[in-house]
Amino acid sequence: MTISVKEVCELALETGRIMLQNGGTTNRCEKMMTTVCAAYGYQRTESFVTPTGIFLTVLDKDNNATTQIKRIEGRRIDLGKVSKLSSIIIELKNCGKKGGESCDYRHLMAKLKEVDSYNPWSEWVKLFFGGMTSGCFCLLFGGSWAEFAVAYAVGILVSISMRLIVLLQVNNFLLHALGAALVVVFAKILDTWVPGIKLDNIIIGGIMLLVPGLAITNAIRDTMSGDLVSGTARGVEAFLLSVAIAAGSGSMLKIWALVGY
Amino acid sequence: MRPFDSLTLMQFTWAFLSILGFSIRSNLKGSKVFFTSVGGGLAWALYLISLYYTKSPLLSVFISTIIVCSYSEVVAPRFKVPVSVFVICVIIPLVPGSGLYYSMRAYLNHDLMGASEKLLETLMIAGTIAIGIAVVSSVTNLIHRVINRF
Repeated sequence: MTISVKEVCELALETGRIMLQNGGTTNRCEKMMTTVCAAYGYQRTESFVTPTGIFLTVLDKDNNATTQIKRIEGRRIDLGKVSKLSSIIIELKNCGKKGGESCDYRHLMAKLKEVDSYNPWSEWVKLFFGGMTSGCFCLLFGGSWAEFAVAYAVGILVSISMRLIVLLQVNNFLLHALGAALVVVFAKILDTWVPGIKLDNIIIGGIMLLVPGLAITNAIRDTMSGDLVSGTARGVEAFLLSVAIAAGSGSMLKIWALVGY
Repeated sequence: MRPFDSLTLMQFTWAFLSILGFSIRSNLKGSKVFFTSVGGGLAWALYLISLYYTKSPLLSVFISTIIVCSYSEVVAPRFKVPVSVFVICVIIPLVPGSGLYYSMRAYLNHDLMGASEKLLETLMIAGTIAIGIAVVSSVTNLIHRVINRF
């Protein structure tokens, strides 16, 4: 099975793009691109991946190098796509051998397109479970059942409004600051209707929807696998997102106190 | 509270349910969802149990992180997913979101001592989680290398 260098580059870059945009580590991304190239007979590849871009060089049999660069924009958390892509690439290792299914260019490209639009749960189910996350975190930090109900409503409202804010294509920092501010706003508004609740646990439950757990984890795992550039970048991202969350919720608490509730 | 009583079980359930919500929000499907949720519940329950025995929040976070990261390293290859997918989900209950909020609120109340105390605690817990993840991933790399060599 031989396909041209150009097509191999395209497949590998598409794999890397899906992996990075949805929250994979750079080390795994490099390994996957190497696997894709090796599966089509191009054993010698060099790749350099940062959270915002991919550099890929593929050498063919006559040592002619083909290099392509891909800019990555719009990162978000979508672990379902990462795991689906990962199992496809693992299957790719034993294609062409006995019993493996065929994997020409079109076949794999169709599979990658399928992964790109993979969305197993409808939006309503996700909203329902988003509310459950913040509600249960409220209980976890010692809230009562009334506080659970309020935190549940806050979680759903924040998920809806974050979905709307994303449509405006604001950057990640502003998105988290606005999200944290909205948590405080919704909690304070609901507080005026529901008697006898403490706001602390509700706001913490809402904030736990936004904390940069992915950035912390990926920063450490990248640093430990030797990718110092992306490790540092993700560490700074995690720190800045925490600052954004604190600044958003803090300034909204202060504004609310000044207005007089 | 004492370890292994009904309160710990309830806390396990809340952590389980919240990680269930988190993993469905991030599009996971199938039995992976169940296993990430169990990991998240374990993370919080182990934190509480070791907090009872050691009386030290940092050591408890460290122990809990080490155990749940090892759990992810063992379980994730069974589902053919990257280990980081599991680690991201199970680590969420330990991430110090509450410390961030309390330090912010103390700062707003002009309580600078309280704010810096909470902020330091938050940073140290985040650092401890980082060290835990780092230790487990390095040791796993080492084990894989030794297994491949022999």
